[in-house]
This record gives sequence, structure tokens and C-alpha cells, in this order.
Amino acid sequence: MKPNRRTFLTQTALGVAALATAPLLPGCRTAQAIPGQTLGPNHRAGHWLRGPLPDLTHTAPAETHSAEVVIVGGGIAGLSARRWLAKAGITDVLLLELEEKTGGNSAAGQNSVSAYPWGAHYLPIPDIRNRELLDFLAEAGSITGYNQAGLPLYNEYHLCHDPEERLFINGHWQEGLVPEIGVPTRDRDQIRRFFAEIETLRQAVGTDGRDAFAIPLDHSSADARYRNLDMQSFADYLTQKGFTSPYLRWYLNYCCQDDYGISLEQTSAWAGLHYFAGRKGRAANAPGSAVLTWPEGNAFLADQLRQQAETPTCTNTLAFSLEQTETGVRVLARDLARNRTVAINARTAILATPAFITRRLLGKAAPAAAPQPLTHTPWVVANLTVDALPQGPGVPLCWDNVVYGTDSVGYISANHQHLHDSPQRVITFYKPLTGHTSAQVSEARKRAYGTTREEWITEILAELETAHPSISQHVQEIDIWVWGHGMAAPAVGALWHSNRTVQSQPIGHSIYFAHTDYSGISIFEEAFYSGIRSAQAILANRQSTAL
Amino acid sequence: MADEPTDPLAASKTHRPEGESLNSFQILLLLSVFVIATCGLIYELIAGTLASYLLGDSVTQFSTIIGAYLFAMGIGSWLSKYLDGDLLRWFIRIEILVGIVGGFSAPLLFVLFEYVASFRVVLYGLVGLTGILVGLEIPLLMRILEHQLSFKDLVSRVFTVDYIGALLASVIFPLVLVPQLGLIRTALFFGLLNVLVAAFVLYKFPQTRPYRTAQGMLIGFTILGLLAGFALAERVMTYTESVALQDKVIYSQSTPYQRIVLTSNAREMRLYLNGNLQFSSADEYRYHEALVHPAMQANPRARRVLVLGGGDGLAVRELLKYPALRTIRLVDLDPGMTQLFRQNELLLKLNKRSLLSPKVDVVNADAYTWIRQDTARYDVVVVDFPDPSNYSIGKLYSTAFYRELDRVLAPGGVVVVQSTSPYVARRAFWCIAHTLQAVGLRTFPYHVHVPSFGEWGYVLASRTTERTGWPSPNRLNLPAGLRYVSPLTLRDMTTFAPDMAEVPTEVNRLNNQALVQYFEDEWSAVP
Ligand SMILES: Cc1cc2nc3c(=O)[nH]c(=O)nc-3n(C[C@H](O)[C@H](O)[C@H](O)COP(=O)(O)OP(=O)(O)OC[C@H]3O[C@@H](n4cnc5c(N)ncnc54)[C@H](O)[C@@H]3O)c2cc1C
Repeated sequence: MKPNRRTFLTQTALGVAALATAPLLPGCRTAQAIPGQTLGPNHRAGHWLRGPLPDLTHTAPAETHSAEVVIVGGGIAGLSARRWLAKAGITDVLLLELEEKTGGNSAAGQNSVSAYPWGAHYLPIPDIRNRELLDFLAEAGSITGYNQAGLPLYNEYHLCHDPEERLFINGHWQEGLVPEIGVPTRDRDQIRRFFAEIETLRQAVGTDGRDAFAIPLDHSSADARYRNLDMQSFADYLTQKGFTSPYLRWYLNYCCQDDYGISLEQTSAWAGLHYFAGRKGRAANAPGSAVLTWPEGNAFLADQLRQQAETPTCTNTLAFSLEQTETGVRVLARDLARNRTVAINARTAILATPAFITRRLLGKAAPAAAPQPLTHTPWVVANLTVDALPQGPGVPLCWDNVVYGTDSVGYISANHQHLHDSPQRVITFYKPLTGHTSAQVSEARKRAYGTTREEWITEILAELETAHPSISQHVQEIDIWVWGHGMAAPAVGALWHSNRTVQSQPIGHSIYFAHTDYSGISIFEEAFYSGIRSAQAILANRQSTAL
Repeated sequence: MADEPTDPLAASKTHRPEGESLNSFQILLLLSVFVIATCGLIYELIAGTLASYLLGDSVTQFSTIIGAYLFAMGIGSWLSKYLDGDLLRWFIRIEILVGIVGGFSAPLLFVLFEYVASFRVVLYGLVGLTGILVGLEIPLLMRILEHQLSFKDLVSRVFTVDYIGALLASVIFPLVLVPQLGLIRTALFFGLLNVLVAAFVLYKFPQTRPYRTAQGMLIGFTILGLLAGFALAERVMTYTESVALQDKVIYSQSTPYQRIVLTSNAREMRLYLNGNLQFSSADEYRYHEALVHPAMQANPRARRVLVLGGGDGLAVRELLKYPALRTIRLVDLDPGMTQLFRQNELLLKLNKRSLLSPKVDVVNADAYTWIRQDTARYDVVVVDFPDPSNYSIGKLYSTAFYRELDRVLAPGGVVVVQSTSPYVARRAFWCIAHTLQAVGLRTFPYHVHVPSFGEWGYVLASRTTERTGWPSPNRLNLPAGLRYVSPLTLRDMTTFAPDMAEVPTEVNRLNNQALVQYFEDEWSAVP
């Protein structure tokens, strides 16, 4: 009860005090002194994936299993395929996953303070035409019903709570990520014009009657007027349209980095526009721009996908070879827990692994490599447990927090969806290791693997200190995860002017593919639909052979 | 270097006749002693005053602070013999340090009071440090002046000036400094004086030339820092417990969740949580009667009640006036709070030992997390949370939370929500009503006048599908002895004057936190 408006003032004043005293404080805590560990896609198997695959083909398998369908890879795509098959009544399915837990890029961790994501962390509310996705969300409890107009009612605990985003710019935390504080009118006008243009593109329909920009992206119009945008960089597109404002371009570059891990100059204009114009979510109880999020990020969705099917999953299992047999396929895998090889004979296989792994698994049977292979930006993600977050003036902590002019794409507060407050929290810091050429990217990847935990910590804290003076003093734990092949990047020409879709064509009636690499844009929806598509193809084939 | 002052001490090094009249330079040095002495006593007074303001029990605080301070000065004096070599340099350093430590002592203590659990350690640490530094000053100065005056004159003059300085300090402190400058600025101002003494010595003595630039810069920075502190003093005060300082503090405790301070004067007792007034014993009955009785009258067959927040047991005291109630479950985050209201004699008198009643079941948990797991059903739910001044409290006023309330409501049940001031925060008040409506509840907004808060609002709510509503005047069965709620006041509570009348607002949801925005806008407009 009673007047209580002090916390705002307190936060501001404390921030001022912290900024003022920062230089007097003793030097940063040394990186070695902060407990935590370095994680990453399975370490034991890591060198197998990065280096040549082990030649275990000739070791006799200790066990042989059989299944109607074997799914390799338990990321979103693999789990979605498994769920779809289960719903269609196909229960003789076996999923192999390299990690201890399924989820792939949507993995999560947990400590005594909060659960936290290691990769994917949100899903924008979908277009209501995405029926399959809505059904899944309803089953997951994220949609609780529909209103009379047919708009979904979202579970308020899953919708991102307010305040959602803030940007540290010119010494102040402002609300929202589009720069406002200290931005000249000329720039504001351009920003306004840009968003007006996006609104037009969101509604735009091609000559074939399809949306210019749709999710899944293969539902987008083939109209050359739009698809040709893929041959141009987003930066060039903007220049052509007179969008020169450094603030606007900073923001859009940030968006490209955040969603694709590449810069404005590298991103295909089609992809850059799709990021905005492809979002057509509608809800009965939230604005179209709302997103769903959980402390553990999209691991929530991965777990839901997993729980919505009952077929067995073998984790800690590295598939290392696949061959076609007379009756279908034979997969060899390494049971990492027991250190032995197992064989799986199946009628069909779904390879839900990243394309560069898939190619290795297939060996000679692999479809011709894309002439312009998709770049995979390495990412480093850090989860920091802090007992306080001293900050400068302005908006208090939000879900997504970005610092203007830094290399990272900011951090999210994993505690944000908690219903009670505590000074201890986990923040998840994201940084794409962007390179301009593919050589630079492999260089960045090598560097990423070579960088020590202490070096990462020093780098990350230095960046956070700019907006959170003396935060180093408040860090209790830092865990680091390096994603060597974070996600496929839709560089110029990658989406509509490559053999992207050709690569995912099934081989015969026995090998199917599902992964966001075949979409070129790495988001939950694409993984979800690519899993469904592969399952549907198997079902269709099964029906035709049964007839 | 012609304009360099010649060493004023050198001339008189050889002969020092007794009773010699002082040269202007020596007068200036003695003036420094005077300033130093005044500063020293001021720091002691500040620490004592601050301790008794913040911790209460001024006799104990003052005497332990003075004791500790004098003892520390003793340590300083003893330590002074270990300082050898360039005494002037030592003196300058110590003056700068005293300026920093003493000058920032008050702002630092005010700020830390709210944020550290072991405030006493910080307080006595700072007092000790200041004492030691101040204890070093006079012995050092005397050694610097040693060759200037005969021992007799030296002792007599230095101590005369010292004691006059002390007298001045003790007179101007209560009469001029505290009323005019406040504690924080007083400390900063005297810190500045110490640093100016250092500057004076640095520039008057040619021996200091080798380190003049370095020390000069340090002095410059310190002065800047102190001046910045001076400018920010107002800011520091606005968020410290300045409010609580008018009265005597009779109890204070920092729990992991909040700082609880109880003050009293001849007329009333006041409870502050993190510096915000929770109640005044003089008129809290108005607030709590109005919170509880309309809801209890609306559902006269109530047996089970849930109270969220309200760890002071005052709402429970009102509830216990209904003997038919079987259980009252109180959920309050802070065990420190409920413990205090079960143990402190004065508070037990105020809440009539309500929390000790066998009917009462106290749960210390976060209300939101707790209610999501609760499976019981209640006839009346009393929601007495702090005002929605930040986003985490704002969640407790959201549609999502009200849906949880609706879920735990037994058939015919009612909810009552304390809803801030409809006069000061009109949109915030109506936003709460609209949010309750948005989850399908029928609302009955009402308000009362509580002198120590002003006009205060509540919203009673029941299910749209049920007949329960605002108590009808002819079916009232109020307990005896109420001082505010009566059939007549009950009737008046629901009329809103035009300046508080309903306004359209958004509904408060977790994903828009509209209420916090309204609340912040409206309360920040209050001077
Ligand atoms: C840092 C980061 C942040 C992201 N943030 C978001 C976000 O906020 N929202 C969003 O929608 N998307 C985000 N993404 C994109 C994310 O990649 C997709 O959402 C989605 O998780 C991809 O799923 P997938 O199934 O296509 O691929 P993957 O997640 O790559 O799944 C492949 C699976 O195969 C397994 N595997 C690999 N090799 C083998 C083998 N030999 N044997 C057995 N198993 C194997 C892997 O362990 C993995 O589980 C983010 C990605 C990264 C890297």
C-alpha cells in the first residue's frame, strides 16, 4: 500500500553514483577469479564434427536396432518431424541426438537463480494462417483459446512482459531499440519513412497471389520484383531508397546481426526486409509485434515438441555414417556414454542435422554442394549470474538490452518472465563473430575456438562496463558457449539464387532432409516447418506405396 | 622565481623568545589549527547525529560514537610518532584524506544505510578512520611549529585555538549548519575546508615545490568531487529516509527484502518500508477498516479468508472481529515483517496480537509464485500490496494475477484490492478497476480519507455471474466498536467527486504494464 515511487529515483541516483565512482573503484576482478565453465556443442565429439569424421565404419556395431524411421538430429527440425510422425500414428521412430539433451540451437541451462537460454530465446507471435504452428502452441499451453474473430488468446505468462526493450545511447537508457534520444529530426523522418515502407511490404502480394514476404519463407511470392531483392545487399537497397541516416542504418545493421549474424552489407535485401515484413502476427490480447519468451528461451518449445510425441530418443549419440541399403538405410552411430558403436536399420531416415554435417554423413551420396555455400556465423553466448546490475540513468532493466555502438547484440534478462523479483539474475549475452568474407568467417571460427574463457570474459565485461559501470564486481558466475557454426546466414543471393532448395530434395524414397540450413533463415518457424515437410513427404510416400 | 615566498619559518628557526608576538604567517597556521579543530568536531557530531537519526536511541548512539571517535583520535595521536621525514608532506596528505573521508562520510552513510545489512560496521569503521586521521593532525602541526615557538607558547596557543574551534563547531552545528545546509552538505563543506588547508600549506611553503603539481592536482580533483557531491546532495537526500528522520526511530531492521523502520512521537507510531510510509498508528484504523469491512459485509457467510501482503497484521485484526471466520491465511514475502508484528510489544498492542491467533496461518512466500500453486478456495481475498511503483510489483496488478485470484475464489467470493489514491493517481486507480473487469469481475470502486495518506482508494470485486456485490445497507451486520466504517460512511464511500470520477484507461497486462506508467506519471507530478 501507500505512496512508493522511490525505486525509480533510487535506480537513477544509484546509477549516477555508480557512474561517478566507477573510476575510483579498484580494477576489475580478474577473469580467472570468476567461477564458471566453457560449454559448446558436444566437446567430446566436437573434434569429430570439426575435423574428419572418425573412420569407425569397420568397427562392428555392438548393437543393431531397427526402426521404420530414423531421425538424425534432435534440434527443432528433428523434433518437429518426430512429433508430426507421431501425430500421424507412426510410432516406430528412433531419434538420435548428439548432445545430452535434445534442442540443438534452442538449448538451455539452469542454475539456482534462473533457467537461461544458450541460443534461441524467442518466437514472435505467428501469422494466423500458420495453422500448424498455432495448433502446436495451443497444445503447448501458449495459446489458451480464440476470440470470436478467430484471433488467438495468448497465455500472458508466455508473452514477453513489459518493459521489453531498451537501448543505451548517449549515456542514457531509452525505451525501445530504434534510436530516439539525441536523434536529429532528419533521421527521425527517415526512420518513420522506413517503417511506413515496411508496412506496405508487409501487405504486399506478388503477381502469383502470394504474400511478398511469408513465413515459412518458401510460401513467399515468386514474383521477380521481390525475389530480385535477394541479389542486392540490404545496405545497397537502403542507399538506393535514400535511407542514409546513420541511426537508422545502425539499427538495421543491429537487426541483421541479431537475427542473421551478418552485417548490413552482407545481408540480402530480401532477407533484411523479410525480418520486418515477414512478421504478420495477430492476437486477441497482444499487439502484432508481440513475442513469446520463457526464462529458458526456446528450450521451452523444444521440450514441448519432445513431449508431444512418445517415440524413443537416444541422446549422447553421434551418427557418423549413413548408407543406402536394399531395404532403406543403415545408420552407424557412436553411443558416447558407453563408448560403442550402434547400427540402425530403417526404411527411411530424416537427416535433421546442419548441412555441413549432413554432407559428411552422406559421403559420396551427398547432393552437389551449393555453388555458394551458406555462411555460418560463429556466435559466442555468455550467461552471467550477477547479484546487481548497476546502471546509468533511464529505463530500468528490460527483457532485451542493447548498447548502441558495440560489437555484441546486447543481452537479455533470463529472469524477465519470472513473476517475482530478485536482485540476483542471469543475463544472456550474445555476440556474433561476423566476418565479411567466408575466409574471414572461418578465421573468426578458428579464433573463437582458440579464445580462452578468460579472454572472452575480459572482452565481455569490458563491453558491459560501458553501460554498467562496476558490473565486474557483481558477477558471480560466467558460463560461455561457443557456437562454431551458429546459424546459416542469408547473404546476398543465398535465398533465391542458390541451389538452397535443391539440396533438401529427398534422395530416393529413403533419405529426407530437415534443417533451417535449407531455409537460409534460421528461425524457429523454419525449423518447425522443415520438420513437418519432411514428415509429410514420408507420409505421402508411405501412402502411395501402400496403395 | 622571485615571487616565490621565502620560507617564513626559516627566519625564526634559531631564536624563539617566549611571549613573542606572532607573525602573520604563524597566525595563518594557527587559523589552520582552528579550521582543523572545527572540522574534527563537526565530523564527530555528524556521525553521532546520523547514527541516532538512522538507528534510533540517541543517548546510546551519541555516547558510543563519541567514545569511538575519541579513542580513534588517540590511536591517531599515537601513530603520529611513526610519521617521520617530510612532515609538511605528511600533513598535506592527511588533510586531503580527512577532507575526502570526512567530507563524504555523511552522503556515504546515508546511501549505504539502505543497502548494506551490517550498517553499524560501516558506521564505526568510518568513525574510526576519521578519528585516526583527525588524531594525527594536531600532533603533526605541533611538530611542524616546534621550532617556531617556545614549547609553552606552542601548547597554549594550539590548544586554545583548538578548543575555540570546538566551541564554534558545537554552536553552529545545531543552530546554523543542520537547519541551513543539512547533514550531507555540512559534511561536504567541512571536507572542503580541510582540503583548502592542505592547499594553503602546499602553496605557502617552498619546501613543497617538488611535489606541488602532483598534490595540487589531487587537491583539485578532491575539490571537484566535493563540489559535485554538494550539487548532488539533494538527489541523495530524496531517496534516503529523510522522511523518517523527523521522529525518533524506535526500531529498524534490514531484511533481505526491505528496510523496516518504526518511528514514534507523542501522538503516533509510523512504519516505513524502504522509506515509504506504511501506516500511522493515529489513523491506520481508517485504512484497515475500509479495506476489510465492505468485503466482509458483502459476503457475510465468509469462513475462509486469504490476505496477500499486509504482514503488519492490521487487516487480520479487523478480520478477527468476525468470530464466524474459521481460517485466515496471510501470505507475506518478508518473514522479518511478520516476525516483528508477532514479537514487538508496541506492535502487538496495535494489531491486537492478531498474527498469534490460532485461526491465522502465516505463509512467508512470494504471493505470485504461491498463489499459482494454491489449490484452496477462499470466500474473501484481501489484497494489500505496495503501490505499483515498479515493474515487479506491477505484475501483481495484472490481468494474469487477477485471473489467479478469480481461480481461488469460492462461489460467492469477493476480492478487495487496495488501489492507491484516486485523487493523486486517478488513471492508476481506474486502471486497476478496469483490469479487474477485464478478467470478468464486477467491480465496486470506493474510497476513504486517511489523513496521513490523503484520499485513498480500493476496488471490491465479485464474479459477474454471481449476486454478491456491494453490501446492501439494510443487511449490514457490522462488528461493534468500529471507528470509521458505519452504514453511513459505507454509503458515501462509493460516490466519487468529479475530480476523482472514472476515466478511460488501458487494462494492465504483463505485456504492457500500463499501470506502472500511469502511476509513475501521476505520482511524479506531486511535488
Ligand atoms: C546464438 C543463437 C541465437 C538464436 N536465437 C534465435 C531466436 O531467438 N529465435 C529463433 O527463432 N531462432 C534463433 N536461433 C536460430 C535457431 O538456430 C533455430 O531457431 C533452431 O533452433 C534451429 O533448429 P534446427 O533443428 O534447424 O537446427 P539445430 O538446432 O542445428 O539442430 C541440429 C541438431 O542435430 C544435432 N546433431 C548434429 N550432428 C549430429 C550427429 N552427427 N549425430 C546426431 N545429432 C547431431 C545437434 O546436436 C542438434 O541438436 C538462434 C541461433 C543461435 C545460434
